Amino acid sequence: MEKASIDFAVGLNAYETVEEIVDKCVEAERLGLDYIWIGDSPPHLYCPSVAAAVASRTKKIRIGLGLLSPLLHTPDQISGGIIPLIEAYGDRFEICLGVGDRSQLLRAGVDTRLAKVWNYVLKAKRKIARSFRASGAATKIWLGAQGPKMLAASRSFDGVLMNYASPRMIKWAIDKVKPVARKDFDFGIYAPSYVYRKWSPQAYRLLRVASAVVALGAPRAVLDEFGFSKRLRRAKKEHESGLRIESVVKHVPAEVVDSFSIYTRSSRLRSYLSELGDLGISHIVFGFPQNLSKITIRDLASALPFP
Amino acid sequence: MKLDLEISSSSPLSVAIKFSKLAERGSLNSVWIGEDLNAQREIFTLAGIIMLETSRVKVGIRVTSPLARNISTIARASATLSQIGRGRFRLGLDAARPNALMRGAATLLRRIWRGETVTFTSDNFRLGNYYARYKPGFATPIYFGVRDKKLLELAGETADGVILSGPKRYIEKAVAIVNQGLRKRKRRGKSFRFIASIPTVIVDKKSDLKMAREAVATVLAETPKAVLEMAGIAQEMVKPIKAMMAEKGVNEASRIVAEDLLREVAIYGSPEAAALDLRLLEKYGIDEAIFGSPYGREPVKAIREMAEAWRRLV
Repeated sequence: MEKASIDFAVGLNAYETVEEIVDKCVEAERLGLDYIWIGDSPPHLYCPSVAAAVASRTKKIRIGLGLLSPLLHTPDQISGGIIPLIEAYGDRFEICLGVGDRSQLLRAGVDTRLAKVWNYVLKAKRKIARSFRASGAATKIWLGAQGPKMLAASRSFDGVLMNYASPRMIKWAIDKVKPVARKDFDFGIYAPSYVYRKWSPQAYRLLRVASAVVALGAPRAVLDEFGFSKRLRRAKKEHESGLRIESVVKHVPAEVVDSFSIYTRSSRLRSYLSELGDLGISHIVFGFPQNLSKITIRDLASALPFP
Repeated sequence: MKLDLEISSSSPLSVAIKFSKLAERGSLNSVWIGEDLNAQREIFTLAGIIMLETSRVKVGIRVTSPLARNISTIARASATLSQIGRGRFRLGLDAARPNALMRGAATLLRRIWRGETVTFTSDNFRLGNYYARYKPGFATPIYFGVRDKKLLELAGETADGVILSGPKRYIEKAVAIVNQGLRKRKRRGKSFRFIASIPTVIVDKKSDLKMAREAVATVLAETPKAVLEMAGIAQEMVKPIKAMMAEKGVNEASRIVAEDLLREVAIYGSPEAAALDLRLLEKYGIDEAIFGSPYGREPVKAIREMAEAWRRLV
């Protein structure tokens, strides 16, 4: 596979200190990764300010912000968070919009039970795109999508970041997005990841938690489609009752967890990437816990098909 | 007593950075960023960039409404800036609403920052088992930028400081009200800061006075009746200015600003005279004075000269 065909990114959840996040981003740039994605969620640090700190210490790595939820931020706040970053550090920022982690939004008092939520996100995208155009920015806007309606809505964006990892599920999701009129539309995935050279039980435990969060947040239509609904019933109930995810994860079957994550020895990553390349994937974000340490980021970089 | 500088979120980024660096080089205490809701730049992001471009000067937001964002967003944005600035960040809050809103906002922010799991429901805020996953245990100072008497007293009771803006006599009386609130505290906040913001213009030529008159007309047009009353300024003096502002704009309105109003609402003169005038606010109990727009005919020169005059004075 040619390096140019797929962009590789590491996703960072902003709950570490800014200094730790910046250090990892500097390392990701040194290792040749194309992108860093900085997550945004109510219990984490504020991603535009973290992005500023990262941009101030890196030179060329592209920086993705998101998933940014229009249920949590107004369109003006989202565009207003990017425009000064571009002014200060150049045009190397992209954003990903989406509904966001419903359980975390609920804890922050955000009502996610909107009818046609995909339409709400789409309207926000249009307003943000207008602000970008008005300021002369050509910022790419991705949609983070999982369910059929959001996947279909992504046609109006510049690309889609799908919360899937298994090729079977990715193919299903791509079919829900297509047909796409734009030739430069990008299909990407953003998944909990653990690509390792030396296996660590701690990283694996964290991978299970991260994958369980994605699985439990998946729309019913997706869980039904892949036969996961029944098997997740108990975990879902406990999660919705407010129990911490760490307590719920034991009720999420391992095969469900695996379907939502990139979990492989580094030597086997390339065959997986080839498979995704064949499906038309051009952007892969290796999410938490791949960012656990500089070592796990190095393990990932060592497995990527850089020239 | 210390001198701060105010900039606006609507200024071009290069200008905001330049002024902030001038403040730092001039040994000013703090840069306050005024939130212009029509500006293209989100204020917490802007504050982060300014903080990254400076290393010593404090950076504050003056002010944002606790209702403009989810309270968890204000908490984490402040947490991020506190980390970036290693304790240089200051949060200014304001809402023209009842005390419960401001009290609730300050209490919730502090609970989140302490690392508590928070469940809270009110008309304005709703959190359910919310807890921050970022490093807790820091305390971003919260300043209330309020004018209403009840809110001034609440600032004394609850906040880490208060940002007062208005005519000089108002500021004197507002300090007394805040002190009433301070006396209600179980533990007297020794680090409580009284901060005053008065339009200040460095005047090189007589024609520069026009800028001061324009600033006064603009300020008076939006000054609440209660503030004018506290300052002993009769409505009759302000009404024609407001009417002229609405009808013909600031240029015409500035022409009818009377000399005594100008003296009461603004500070102007040579850098030395303006610095001395600001310093006189100390007698009311003010700890920091904000040197804000329009600065002078040449803002960069005005900021430099003001910083220099302040250094000589203090």
